[in-house]
Amino acid sequence: MKIVVAYKWAPNPQDAVVGLDGTVDLSRAKPAVSEYDPVAFELARRLADATGAEVIGLTVGAAAIDTPLARKAALSRGLDRLVVVADDALAGADGTRLATVLAAAVTAIGDVDVVLAGDSSIDVAEGQVPLTVAGQLGWLGLSRVSSVVADGEGLTVERDLPAGVAVLAVRTPVVLAATADAVVPKVAGMKDILNAAKKPVEVLALADLAVPTAQVSLTTLATARPAGGERQAAMFDATDPAAAASQLVGALRQAGAL
Amino acid sequence: MNASQSWVLVADDTVAAGLVEVGRTLSTEVVAVVAGRRAVAEAVAHAVDRVVWLGEPADVPVEAFAPAVADLVAQAAPLAVIGATTPGGRALLGAVAARLQAPVLSGLGSVELTDGHVVVTRSILGGVSEHRTGVEGGTAVLAVDPRAEVDATGSPVPVEEVAAAPLAGARVVDVKVKEHAGVDLDAAKVVVSVGRGLKAQADVALLESLADAFGGELACSRPLAEGVDWIAKERYIGISGQHIAPDLYVAVGISGQLQHMVGVRDAKVIVAVNSDKAAPIFAQCDYGIVGDLYDVVPALTAALRGTA
Repeated sequence: MKIVVAYKWAPNPQDAVVGLDGTVDLSRAKPAVSEYDPVAFELARRLADATGAEVIGLTVGAAAIDTPLARKAALSRGLDRLVVVADDALAGADGTRLATVLAAAVTAIGDVDVVLAGDSSIDVAEGQVPLTVAGQLGWLGLSRVSSVVADGEGLTVERDLPAGVAVLAVRTPVVLAATADAVVPKVAGMKDILNAAKKPVEVLALADLAVPTAQVSLTTLATARPAGGERQAAMFDATDPAAAASQLVGALRQAGAL
Repeated sequence: MNASQSWVLVADDTVAAGLVEVGRTLSTEVVAVVAGRRAVAEAVAHAVDRVVWLGEPADVPVEAFAPAVADLVAQAAPLAVIGATTPGGRALLGAVAARLQAPVLSGLGSVELTDGHVVVTRSILGGVSEHRTGVEGGTAVLAVDPRAEVDATGSPVPVEEVAAAPLAGARVVDVKVKEHAGVDLDAAKVVVSVGRGLKAQADVALLESLADAFGGELACSRPLAEGVDWIAKERYIGISGQHIAPDLYVAVGISGQLQHMVGVRDAKVIVAVNSDKAAPIFAQCDYGIVGDLYDVVPALTAALRGTA
């Protein structure tokens, strides 16, 4: 069995500097393996250890995602090898574009049984890409996966859904997106980090992949800092904290907020 | 492109009013394609102009119908395809987006038709910025909060059955209903939140008492959940944490950075307690107290309990 973990090397918008006109500067936000992706690495490793499968990391994006640090960060999390598509043609690419490149890379890797992904990326935070990858591959795509174990010919997958925990019998190939807390990822130790340097990395050229042309494009017409933040505060003097507290409670009661 | 139609993707869920609404906003005929039970298709038939139903799923997960949904949508080539931001909805949207080679737009504020193009406002990168975005070259694929049950008061249109072949090999063998545990900040009317102004983990108890006096839940800003780990991560409010809209939000020792405030900007009333009178939170709250939280919090707890 071959398991691909599709992950993102992404900046945290927590560290974004947002201008008054809504322009976002991410240059000070350090990229990392996206917050929930280690859960997918861990699920993949456990499934592979139980079945003797190979775990292949896969990430796509602008040229800057392929650095020694980025490679090590992924390879120290239980991967057997890594496949990277890094091309500036993918800078600022939308989710569908990234999904088509991921799908093309999965096809190029060949004979993949399971694609595992995290819940959502730290930057875009929508949880759409794994399901678009499934759409592009024509495979079943299931999100909210809290558990996956091998079961005879296929997999038993548990999903944490609003209606309850659904248990599914699934045949491969399949795309699975984990919940954020499906498993607690193992923290990479010194040995994992040292071993990471010895693991193979394959760089696929975007031009060599069969990626369909985008049909629909987006034009940004305007940007703005999110509205609704400004409020007119009534201030209470805390020289006497007890008086300030009772004035505040009185004001909240009068406003119907309590 | 068939500019007179919007297609709504229904993933076995009658909670789809938000999807139909967007189709109506675009002044189009609204066609629903329903992957799921017949009862869902019949309910949706009250709210839309046409219903295409893919047949009884039995134990097949709704996601297995995604390629069939994409086939139907691609044939129709509508102005817009509107799906839900739910697990099932995202799977149907993914197949449609791949088939049309179109981006999926999320975090939507307004949706309108301008010179024949769908134009939306949407929040970007978890809410730090808002973009007005035009869609060109084909169908607009929109991920929308399904919000509420479809309006079932109108007279229903007939349900057209187009039996579809789902992807083979997946079936639901069991659904275990979960006992509801854990934090539900979403449902809390009052949320008391604490930030970096707190000096020690032991002092979390002060804030717990205050939250209790308000009859509310305790939350925090990012440093307390991820930096020092004093408060559980599921209680963290902000861009990559919880987004909530309580009746009353009490921010204690929180400076009011954009990344925190996007998580709570829809709160009805915001109270801020901070020792720095220049903190940005005071421009974003309804009531403010400039003071040391170690003085103000106990006083406030006492005032609420009537023990002052």
